[in-house]
Amino acid sequence: MPRLPSSLSRANHYAVVWCADFRLQAVVRLSNRGIPVALIDDSKRQSVVLSCNPVAAHAGVYEGIPTVQALARCPDLSIKQPSAASEMAAERTLLELSLNWVPLIEETEQGMLTLDLSSQPEMHWDDSARSLFSRLDSAGLDVVVGMGETPSLARIAAQVAQERGMRLWHLAPGNRLDLLEALPVTVAEISSGLVGKLHLWGVESLGAFARLRRETIASRLGEEGVELWLQLTGRLQRPLRPASLEQLFEEHYDFEHEVREREPVLFIFHRFIERLTARLSGTGRAATAVHLLLTFADGSCYGKRLTLPEPTLDEEILFRVGSGHLETLELKSEISSVRLRLEPSDLIASQQTLFGAGLKNRHHYEETLKRLRQIVGSDRVGSPRPKDSHRPDRFELVPLSAEIDEPSHQGALVVEESRLPYTSGGVSSGAPGAGPATVAPPIVGPTFRRYTRRIVAEVQFRDAKPVRLDSSRIKGIVTNAYGPWQNGGEWWHEGKSWSRTEWDLEIMKQGLFRLVGTEGEWIVEGYYD
Amino acid sequence: MVDSGKKAALEAIRSQLGGKVVSGTEFLQQRERNDACLPTHFPGLDEALGGGLPRGQLTEMIGSSVSSGSGLVMAELLALARRERRYVILLDVGRGFTPWSFSDRDLEVLLWVGCDNAQMAIEALDVATRDENFSLFLVDLRDSEAADWKSVRSSQWYRILGQMRERETAAVLFSPAPVTAASKVRVEVAVPMPLASLNENRAELVRQGKFRRTHFSSNQAPGRRSYRGEALQAG
Repeated sequence: MPRLPSSLSRANHYAVVWCADFRLQAVVRLSNRGIPVALIDDSKRQSVVLSCNPVAAHAGVYEGIPTVQALARCPDLSIKQPSAASEMAAERTLLELSLNWVPLIEETEQGMLTLDLSSQPEMHWDDSARSLFSRLDSAGLDVVVGMGETPSLARIAAQVAQERGMRLWHLAPGNRLDLLEALPVTVAEISSGLVGKLHLWGVESLGAFARLRRETIASRLGEEGVELWLQLTGRLQRPLRPASLEQLFEEHYDFEHEVREREPVLFIFHRFIERLTARLSGTGRAATAVHLLLTFADGSCYGKRLTLPEPTLDEEILFRVGSGHLETLELKSEISSVRLRLEPSDLIASQQTLFGAGLKNRHHYEETLKRLRQIVGSDRVGSPRPKDSHRPDRFELVPLSAEIDEPSHQGALVVEESRLPYTSGGVSSGAPGAGPATVAPPIVGPTFRRYTRRIVAEVQFRDAKPVRLDSSRIKGIVTNAYGPWQNGGEWWHEGKSWSRTEWDLEIMKQGLFRLVGTEGEWIVEGYYD
Repeated sequence: MVDSGKKAALEAIRSQLGGKVVSGTEFLQQRERNDACLPTHFPGLDEALGGGLPRGQLTEMIGSSVSSGSGLVMAELLALARRERRYVILLDVGRGFTPWSFSDRDLEVLLWVGCDNAQMAIEALDVATRDENFSLFLVDLRDSEAADWKSVRSSQWYRILGQMRERETAAVLFSPAPVTAASKVRVEVAVPMPLASLNENRAELVRQGKFRRTHFSSNQAPGRRSYRGEALQAG
């Protein structure tokens, strides 16, 4: 472990929040504390007690005693089994409430958190600890807090607090050695071999051990002894591993009886959403996705990540996303448990600019898109863009941009440049290799609309110019014509090449039309309007 | 008492800014007009519309023949929406829309919905008008037959109207003939369109257009061509 100079280590201070008998507390925390309760292990051949509360201990129940014997000693004993869901919920509660004290927290082990107090002035530590006790008491968790210069010393302080029945014990740096003098070496988590050696030496307290010379310890007790000495003298620092806050945003529920209907699941789901959004809100974040995991009675699972169009904390939207998906599920078996996680995202990432314009409600927009696709088909909704091709009937649909930027003058100039003069006659340079601007019809002038039905026409020419057009839909004399424009492409792909000759026609008392010659026939492709 | 020199200097600055600075009264009047409708900024069209596209109402743009200029009006409305940074939905009955006829920049604000028939378009419009993200709805019925839009129940139109009034949005139907009695304003579009117009500026073409506001008499069913016109308004 890295060692820091003692001057630097003094700047830091840590607190260890320890919830002893965590697995038991997690199960019984919201029940009556006055009744004897024991946590048992049923996995072995003989059921044994894993831990028990003080009431049960007073009745003669202890760790490792067979359950049958425990019941004989204490007939009122309430038997509980470990619950992963309850433990997870208790861990979340412990972490969530501790976050109100300081932001940097390490989950050292199950039921034990190490807090970096350097972000808070010393004068507030005691008040903050008392406030934490109060909140955790309300949540049914009984904890002790130990404070010290290093995580190791804080842990020792927490152990002392637990052994002495105190809620808070501070191993203050000023009189550390004196305080350690009163602590037996067994308080430190060291091997029995080392405890035996120290006993032979006549070293009974941690204070006495800390007063020994380092070189002596190194030569006679080895690495374990040196590490303990460094811990006790406050010279062993280690960086905390910050707890992942993501796990805070998860809830889990095991149904006592499996359910087939969706209503109970939706009820639980709604409760989860309420809790999780409150937690997310507390950390200044929003949900960017909903993770849903259902476990079925037949052992199978179903998991889905439901992405949100933009981060939100709106309970109604989050519930609607999840419940909407649940309703589409075909339940082949009863649901035995439900797990829900909100994927957090920084709110700042979704903030719009002050003068920005864009979608006011992206959630509503996504719902509208979904419904429109149900009505017209998924391939017929989107923001159209011409494809990078000379072929004029090609375009693609892209998602609508969530932000509309300011119409810039530069952009306008680009458009103007692309508005080519459209002159009569001649052959366009729109052959393969030429720029697309020379092929594309101008953005000036009327818009073009394509006929969806293929309208084959007979065309009479005079002096290589069309003079009359006859088709099922349009008939008339051609009064003016622009063209022909030769166009083609994809000749490099066998079977996909195309070529066309285009004319723009003004037909007497009819309007402006586009005539296209392709595959040996003339087609009225559309009209200008 | 206002110093005459200062007043003259103020007027000079105003004239230099070319009307960008308006008085408080003018601003309020302009705002009142904008609250009630969306001006198109084409004098002839705005006059026929009564100031602009009425908010919370259906407007019909009738191009009784091919190349009457309905498409031009549609393109200019889209360009206007782009300038004002609004989203537009186009319900395209027949799916004859050609994106290369429009500026790429204008297409950025457009959500295109391809529909097979008028009934499908109305169902889509019913959904779209509930969405507060969109302020303008364009329904292209130019290639649709009268029998097609006659199949739409009037209750559907009025439900859509209710939704539009709630959000103060505007919808424009482009068709060759009147579509529904639920429309508040109906304007016949006639833009002169010789072949040479293919080279002309779009906005200029619209300015040259003639827009005539028309009304149904109450006993006439929509979809018939017999409707009477009001005063002809040349752009």
